[in-house]
Amino acid sequence: MKTIAIDLDDTLNDFSETLLKTPFTHDAGYGISAETFAQYLRMLRSGTADGNDLLSTEYSYFCYKIHNECYRLTTARADGVEFMQWLRANDWRIVICTHRDLRRSNECTRKWLEDNGIPFDYLFRALNKLEFCKAWGIKTLVDDHLFSLTQEGSYDIEVFHPIMAKHEDLELRRGKGFRNFEELKQWIQK
Amino acid sequence: MDSKVALLTEFYRGLPKDRAKVETYEQGFEFLERMLAGGVTLEYGEMSHPGLLHKYKLSKIPEGRMNGLLLSHVRKESNLCLYFGDKVNSLFCFNLDNNHKTDNTEVIPEMELAVSLLREILIGLGCEPLILASGRGYHLWFRLAGEVENDQLYNVMLRSMAKTMLGLHRKGFDHQQIKVNFYPDPRSRDIVSLRLFGTDHAKNRVFSRVLTPEGLLDEEDSWKAFECHLKTKTMSVERFRAAYESIMAAF
Repeated sequence: MKTIAIDLDDTLNDFSETLLKTPFTHDAGYGISAETFAQYLRMLRSGTADGNDLLSTEYSYFCYKIHNECYRLTTARADGVEFMQWLRANDWRIVICTHRDLRRSNECTRKWLEDNGIPFDYLFRALNKLEFCKAWGIKTLVDDHLFSLTQEGSYDIEVFHPIMAKHEDLELRRGKGFRNFEELKQWIQK
Repeated sequence: MDSKVALLTEFYRGLPKDRAKVETYEQGFEFLERMLAGGVTLEYGEMSHPGLLHKYKLSKIPEGRMNGLLLSHVRKESNLCLYFGDKVNSLFCFNLDNNHKTDNTEVIPEMELAVSLLREILIGLGCEPLILASGRGYHLWFRLAGEVENDQLYNVMLRSMAKTMLGLHRKGFDHQQIKVNFYPDPRSRDIVSLRLFGTDHAKNRVFSRVLTPEGLLDEEDSWKAFECHLKTKTMSVERFRAAYESIMAAF
């Protein structure tokens, strides 16, 4: 059986845009002041780490809450949905492979996939998706993450990625960038 | 039934058995198909690197499959973690972890003091814990003779932990060095699970040894202490309610 692993955020949806453009509002549930909320939101949007050597902090809790909001609000790429349905119709085994902490986002992730008509067989969290694909014998990965694009050669896995601004500075010689999923469909049929 | 499986079944009798998290180094679609036989559903899987440790959250586990999972657990082929009941439970547990991103399997001074203070506070309330070494800290388990509402369990845990943190602070330690989770926690349902006694930690391969005031017991003595706790330290619901009344009145 042909198997494909596909990332979610910024691959099948517009996660980064949702994070940048959603007008998140402060409430008591965050357990921080409105000023700290605004400061943390700036940090999260700019990708700034808090520099803390602790795992569980006020900021990590804030990030978890905002990310979960984004998972709920993010918009699916129409051509991505169509691609996933094409995979299903053509008997591919589909593994959703994400960085999300699925302990806390399994339910909303499954709901989002269902609401958007995205078929899949298994849902996995892997911080190193190439290592995951290697361990599971998956030869095709669709992912926007720079690590997957730059390190694929050492894993013998073919990586495809949606072309994004963050890839422009990178001298990509390995991963194949696509503008739309129709392109990808043509490539993987070959 | 294997005697260790029988002990675990009895100790954790109150926890739901239709769902579980399994930690193992086994992977691959053939393995997954075997694991999901009989209608078991994979909610999600996780792979941590390095080492390729896999965690599988399973649901719709049919009756009868749990014995097999427990047997694999005591044989140290995989680790079994169980979730808590949604509304009531006859067990509750504090999970204290080293909160550092790196080198977090070290027992830090804050941890030693916190466990000692918490134990003292709870014994003062009439609740004696079974303390198990976990990978990054300790689990403090309490077994009840009957079911108690999650809100009451949580309130006792929250307040006794607050007293513990105050004790740490007064002795000049930083409470943020420790990450604390309560089981059950009414704020989250069916999200986090706890590894059962009787096997090695998946990452550092250290057995879940029982901690006594004299120190950590070895594996064999830990099993004896576990059995002894089950037989002699299970708390009546009345005693728990008295502890609840006492700590609520103090805050």
